[in-house]
Amino acid sequence: MGVTDAPTVRRPFFRRKKTCPFSGSNAPKIDWKNTRLLSRYISERGKMIPSRITAVSQKKQRELAKAIKNARYMALMPYVSNEIDTGRGSRR
Amino acid sequence: MPYYETVFIARQDLTEAQVKDLTEQFSKIITDNGGKIHKTENWGLRMLAYRINKSRKGHYVLIEVDAPSDAVIELERVMRLNEDVIRSLTIRQNQLSDEPSIMVEKASDKDDNKKFKYSKEKKEEAA
Repeated sequence: MGVTDAPTVRRPFFRRKKTCPFSGSNAPKIDWKNTRLLSRYISERGKMIPSRITAVSQKKQRELAKAIKNARYMALMPYVSNEIDTGRGSRR
Repeated sequence: MPYYETVFIARQDLTEAQVKDLTEQFSKIITDNGGKIHKTENWGLRMLAYRINKSRKGHYVLIEVDAPSDAVIELERVMRLNEDVIRSLTIRQNQLSDEPSIMVEKASDKDDNKKFKYSKEKKEEAA
């Protein structure tokens, strides 16, 4: 994470405030057809990653969940991807 | 009138011509009931992420319409009855985009081997 100034009190966990990737001005629009964007928010097994890890805001996380479920229903994304996937999934 | 976006998957053993006139048939339902076709896109034969009643591939077609709700209800009823359509999803949109959907850009910029046909019917053509 680069050299951060030595905090006076020892911080249990790094404190960098992660911003929601969807709330910026030119943020990408969440669309259930955009599987490349959605696949960044699912694990290798195809499960959704919780927003406390991806720092997505609650409102956008609900939109994201709905889009992922629609994409799964329309067979654009797997409900569960088995081990031998191409490993393209996001590394958490 | 509200905007709707319908994507349906047709069975894999249909020919391109059959998929084309399936799309025409659905578009005719919309225009008969007072709707307007904004855009039609054929994403071609694509691999499904999982098997849907024994088939592994399917023809994806996107239709964006500006239609009253009963036109869309009729469209969904016909799609449910039709055996060639194995799955369909209709979503209400708040605004229609003119440029091609993500599927089309992704396919055209990276030339993968999947057969791809893109038919963009302009509004005036449909009107």
